[in-house]
Amino acid sequence: MLVTNIEIIPGKRITKHLGLVQGSSVRAKHIGRDIMAGLKNIFGGELKGYTELLQESREEATERMIQQAEAVGANAVLNVRFSTSSVAAGAAELFAYGTAVVLE
Amino acid sequence: MADLTIFMVLLALGYGFGRYAELKHYKSIIRREKEFRDIPAVTTKFPPLSKAVDAELVSGSVVISVDYFKRFIAGLRNLIGGRVTAYELLLDRARREAILRMKEEARAFDGHIIFNVKLETSSIHKGRKNGVGAVEVMAYGTVLIKQ
Amino acid sequence: MEYSNPKIPEGINASTQHPLKEFFLLTGGVLGGVLIVVVVLTLLADRLAVYIPFESEMQLVTRVTDGIPAEGAEPLPIESYLNGLADQIAAEEGLPPEMQLTVHYVDDDLVNAFATLGGHIFMFRGLLEKLPNENAVAMVLAHEIAHIKYRHPIRSMGRGIIFGLAITMVSSTLGNAMTDQVLANTGGVTVLKFSRDQEREADQTALNALYRRYGHVDGADLLFKVLQQQEREGEALQMPEFFSTHPLSEHRIDDIHTFQAEHATATDVATVPLPDQFVAWLIPAETEKTD
Repeated sequence: MLVTNIEIIPGKRITKHLGLVQGSSVRAKHIGRDIMAGLKNIFGGELKGYTELLQESREEATERMIQQAEAVGANAVLNVRFSTSSVAAGAAELFAYGTAVVLE
Repeated sequence: MADLTIFMVLLALGYGFGRYAELKHYKSIIRREKEFRDIPAVTTKFPPLSKAVDAELVSGSVVISVDYFKRFIAGLRNLIGGRVTAYELLLDRARREAILRMKEEARAFDGHIIFNVKLETSSIHKGRKNGVGAVEVMAYGTVLIKQ
Repeated sequence: MEYSNPKIPEGINASTQHPLKEFFLLTGGVLGGVLIVVVVLTLLADRLAVYIPFESEMQLVTRVTDGIPAEGAEPLPIESYLNGLADQIAAEEGLPPEMQLTVHYVDDDLVNAFATLGGHIFMFRGLLEKLPNENAVAMVLAHEIAHIKYRHPIRSMGRGIIFGLAITMVSSTLGNAMTDQVLANTGGVTVLKFSRDQEREADQTALNALYRRYGHVDGADLLFKVLQQQEREGEALQMPEFFSTHPLSEHRIDDIHTFQAEHATATDVATVPLPDQFVAWLIPAETEKTD
């Protein structure tokens, strides 16, 4: 599965557009991590727990988008966009969407 | 004791009505998605250059709130960590509804395909102490209309 | 080029699992977790609080009660009587000598008595009026003295502080009012269990002291009958035991009867009457005003 955020793959022809596919994931870390992050906020610096949390969510969102693309019979997702939103305190919401296509 | 009773009643109400509304909404989403299947929406920016067409900006948005029961589950989930399924369902519903509303607008223009679709999510209303109140999802794109 | 929007199967972005399943798993897990954390924290606080010497506990209280009369002022006749009785019971309970008792009389309708930090015991007029003989008064005192003997006031305080800290830490991080509520309530109910255990412990010690002093425990259940009466009349709210700080009055009365059955009683069980002036002592407020 080819996942890219460009529209045209040079040298390859799109034979079929299969429309929008999307993947999203909302995840939270356990309270211990939240407390540690709260403490870390005093000193500044990277909040490892949260970096990990967002990374995991992003991977899961992408994974789900790919699942959707596979389900409709595509072999590539073009023009992929990511967006992050905070739905609830302490939880991260990652969203990925793109156009599923069949490449030649 | 009284607090507990009120809490239990709210939970039960939230569960009952929330579940009913959710199942009904999903039914309607699936039905309308089928209906609008002839208007594809893609994120691609460049439509194939062929005959001249009219273009029009279309959008659809929706604000959905999560019920008391789900909010409770999500709160507990926040303690343990992991996938917050209560909100995943909420967002899934909101996004599909927003896309459908965009397509409804496209149909009103007699359009046949929507290009460069973008989705925006925001939590517009934060409940007490930052708990999620509701999410707003907006979908927008450009519809092409055959001349 | 062909454009289409095929149907995407459900259940990729949102799980199709039944929400009730998650609900039960989560509530079970979280409540269990809270239970364990609270029990561990309170046991810890309990263990540590006992190491605070009684002297520093008394100093802590003197700082607070400074300025409240009592100190230096002539004790009321009722207070002298209660203090005398308390000292005798304290001897029966084997209260360590460094633990000094001070019984205060509170001129209020409230049907209550409590022991607090620094060996201070407060007896309310409302309760004393309802007790017909010395044995019943002795039971109240013996119960409160037992609290002091086992350092219950400072242990409860330690528990309260640790529990409060834990809740504050979690709630400030979580920022979800509903979850706070659930955590605080579960924790609170767990803490109540400790409180009830303390009451039972105090009851047993009090009964033993009474038995040693009078040779029987008649009249001991009068206190709880008074409390029961209050509950029936709706003056005190009756809650299920699970949500109360004290065991139910009927359970406490049952415990007394069990104690009575287990211990051989002298044939001539007579309750000791209260001093003749007792009723007159109970209204010091008026007498003071006439001075």
